[in-house]
Amino acid sequence: MVASSLRSFIKDVRNAKTLADERSVISKQSAKIRTKLRDDRLSNEKKRANIQKLLYLYILGEKTHFGQVGSINLIASDEFVDKRLGYLATILLLDESQDLLTLLTNMLNNDLQHPNKYIVALALNTLGCLSSTELARDLYPDVENILKNSSDPFLLKKALQCNAKLIQKDRSLLEIFPVSLIGSKLIDSANISTHGVLLGVCKVLQAILITFDKSFNKTGEDTATEQEDDDEYQEDVGILKTIAEYIQPLSYRLSTLNSKSLEPSYDVQGIQDPFLQCELLVTLKWFFKIGNNLGLEEITRHNTAFNDRLTQIATNTSALKNPGNAILYEVTRTIFELNLTQPLRVLGVNILANFLAPTKNANNTSNNVKYVGLNTLVSVVPEEPKAVQRYRKFISQCLYDYDISIKFRALELTFEIMDEENFVELTTELMNFLEKISKSHYHYATSYIDIDDSKDLILYTVDHLLEKFEVFTNSDDKTKLDALMNTLKMAGSFVDLDRTNEFIVAINNIDDLKYKIALLSKELAELLDEKKNADAESSACLELTIVWCIGEYVDLIIANPNTNKNIVNEKSIIQFLSKLNNTYRLSKESKMVHYILTAALKLSTKINDKALVEELRQIIVSHSKDTNLMTQTKSIHYELLFNQPDNIKKQFLQAMPKFEKKTTSRGLETHPIAKEPKKQNDLLLDLLNDTEFGKIATKEPTIAQPEKPNDVLADLLGSSTSKPKEKLQIPSESVLIHKGTEIEVYEKTIDISSGLAHLELYVKALNNKLTDIQPLCAVPKTQKITLSQLQPSNSMNAGETVKQSLRINGSGKLKLRIKMSFCVGDASAVVSEQFDYKLDQTI
Amino acid sequence: MGIRFILCFNKQGVVRLVRWFATDDSSTEPQEEISQIYRLISSRDHKHQCNFFELSETTKLVYKRYAGLYFVMGIDITDEEPIYLSHIHLFVEVLDAFFGNVCELDIVFNFYKAYMVMDEMFLGGEIQEVSKDVLLERLSTTDRLE
Repeated sequence: MVASSLRSFIKDVRNAKTLADERSVISKQSAKIRTKLRDDRLSNEKKRANIQKLLYLYILGEKTHFGQVGSINLIASDEFVDKRLGYLATILLLDESQDLLTLLTNMLNNDLQHPNKYIVALALNTLGCLSSTELARDLYPDVENILKNSSDPFLLKKALQCNAKLIQKDRSLLEIFPVSLIGSKLIDSANISTHGVLLGVCKVLQAILITFDKSFNKTGEDTATEQEDDDEYQEDVGILKTIAEYIQPLSYRLSTLNSKSLEPSYDVQGIQDPFLQCELLVTLKWFFKIGNNLGLEEITRHNTAFNDRLTQIATNTSALKNPGNAILYEVTRTIFELNLTQPLRVLGVNILANFLAPTKNANNTSNNVKYVGLNTLVSVVPEEPKAVQRYRKFISQCLYDYDISIKFRALELTFEIMDEENFVELTTELMNFLEKISKSHYHYATSYIDIDDSKDLILYTVDHLLEKFEVFTNSDDKTKLDALMNTLKMAGSFVDLDRTNEFIVAINNIDDLKYKIALLSKELAELLDEKKNADAESSACLELTIVWCIGEYVDLIIANPNTNKNIVNEKSIIQFLSKLNNTYRLSKESKMVHYILTAALKLSTKINDKALVEELRQIIVSHSKDTNLMTQTKSIHYELLFNQPDNIKKQFLQAMPKFEKKTTSRGLETHPIAKEPKKQNDLLLDLLNDTEFGKIATKEPTIAQPEKPNDVLADLLGSSTSKPKEKLQIPSESVLIHKGTEIEVYEKTIDISSGLAHLELYVKALNNKLTDIQPLCAVPKTQKITLSQLQPSNSMNAGETVKQSLRINGSGKLKLRIKMSFCVGDASAVVSEQFDYKLDQTI
Repeated sequence: MGIRFILCFNKQGVVRLVRWFATDDSSTEPQEEISQIYRLISSRDHKHQCNFFELSETTKLVYKRYAGLYFVMGIDITDEEPIYLSHIHLFVEVLDAFFGNVCELDIVFNFYKAYMVMDEMFLGGEIQEVSKDVLLERLSTTDRLE
């Protein structure tokens, strides 16, 4: 009867033809259960049926809170079946934070002393899952009682697990917990120390050790309670010395488990109880972690033996199946977490690298170990760079793995192991990778890889390549230039036009002028050759770079004897520019137009043919009525300059100096948008301080710095005209959205309409002077954010405020992730504070 | 440390078993979290992609598909993944032996028994018994008490 009514309910839900049907079945039943559970006269059998149905509702994700008391009532029954269901329902429906838990105290107390061991087991299980600190204190004696008096492994293992949980809840229980019990009774006795009991012992020891680890790390932080701390510390060390005696027997158990295969019931795919082996390893790891930190002789004297044991396990364990790999992986984690001796670390790297080894039939198992192997290797590189580098072939192969997360990690690792020595080799490898992945991107219909994923991969590669190019200044310039050009060609269409600046900076900073010119003349020849170029697609990014290079190097390119003059000559170059100018005239990419204008202006000083110069002038003049105000201004300024005598013009238009770039950190994830207007501005300021440019620049900065996006310049024009610093006040209608250690941030909404929001952030320095403040903002993918300049400047004294206004276009909920980085006081280290802010409004 | 939750759902995302050991302080509703997990897992290639991934800053997922059912464990970010795959495998093996060639319908109609198996194997998110023989013997005894 009971089963059938639950059954029929489940069947009804399953048979519902539409969602609406299903909803009605569920809500009817839910209402029925609600009334039934209120009825005190209901027989236990009926109650059970209702609670079972309630649990089915729980699995379906329905509201079930009304059944909590009913579940607890069921526990009070004397019948095992009632108790079992009652406890199950209690565990599922309640969580540790609820006040109702106190209702359980008495019932658990009774049941923990019950003569029926199955009922005791139920109570232990429940206490292990749901224990508040009060519950832990009240019921601990019952659990200890079982540990002391029972000799049934079935109960002991549960009591141990439960005890471990209680210690985690309330550390003061450690003072009364008789740790010696573990040794005399639980480890030594053959009848009692089953695998289950040993698992429990491991858990209790781990709980103790982790608790110690936490408090030892905390000691010294607050000096007020030093005396107390000291007493506690001595006590803890006392306990530690007692449990240190178990290192040897546990380690022995580990080695017997690992070397012999005796009990078929614990065999998992040819490995003897991998679960217990892993738990033993983890437990021992904690022992040594704490022992070595404190220099506790009772523990450290086992170090050598433990190292030998790890070597032994590493050699004995088969890596064919998952359980063996799990053990090997735990061994390597132990080695690196404890930072053991160098031979062991190399052993660890070898194990992990073997995880990456290509297998004949790729499947999940091999991918699982690849994933964990790569994950760990990334963190190991700083300690054992050479050992990891030895396996770069394996790592490179993982770049071509099917699994995107493996690709990503392999990529990360490749950059991690890159140094001056293997720079050329790895860059070549990455170029191959880029080529393959950008091809597969274009033909995504037949490829396995997700289109967004491949874009992320490409951007990640490009970002980090650029970063590495900056770091390895001594490396081969030829490789760098080749790589830059190749990257632009292969990945140019993925890179944001704003990021192109970094390519240009990188090209600008390369010293080997001869090779640079040779390469550029080759590239230009390819680009200008119309026969070849008929159907080749070129990206805006590449075009922008080429336009810049034309402005900078055209005289050198034409003078280069190897340049194919039939294709690359002044005429064809100017044609190229004006063609590009026509293409982009009406597009929104004003950046491209600006670059073209600058290139045309620069070019005019480098050629003599009157007709061609006039063509250049036409390019510039063509924008004098541009609807984009910035472009128009630029065009008119340039035209003025264009008409100046050559000697004045030349002074303005000298080759760019080397860029000093401020490094900015970039996370692995490509955030939708994180603009850094400050950075560009700093660059500008640096440049403006440059003596030669300085004088001219103050008159007309637009000309001195044609490389930078114009809007930033506009801001600069507005702010750098040395206005007196006025003190900014936080408006009264703004709200506090973040309070950190150094700053407070207030938000004021200026305007929110559909598709556009305008906000202002006020950042207040609390205690210290802050300099070099850089705001970073990210919004959901459906939106775009524009950050303006910080007002009045990017530094402030304690108590002062700066303002940052934001414009967000797009659609969706307004959500911001904001990161403010700055230097505190006179320190040069960059500190950052990050927080999220959600507005209740949608645009 | 340990298992934060165990989930079992079918290919359509209908939940068959759900068990939270550690309540996350994150503000997401459990139901929302489950459907997010379902979306993430069902979009993965089940032959070629690995069985692990990071769900959040505190939780990693270990999952495996058996016929039409996904078994998922959320584990602590500091734990190692492969051993939990063995946990899942053992759990499924025990279910299989206990129900006798288990199928989705067995779990649908006897979910409370499946929870019984879970409670014999795990306590508060930690594994407590790993021997199939011991587990099955214990389970058949308690099953008969009904």
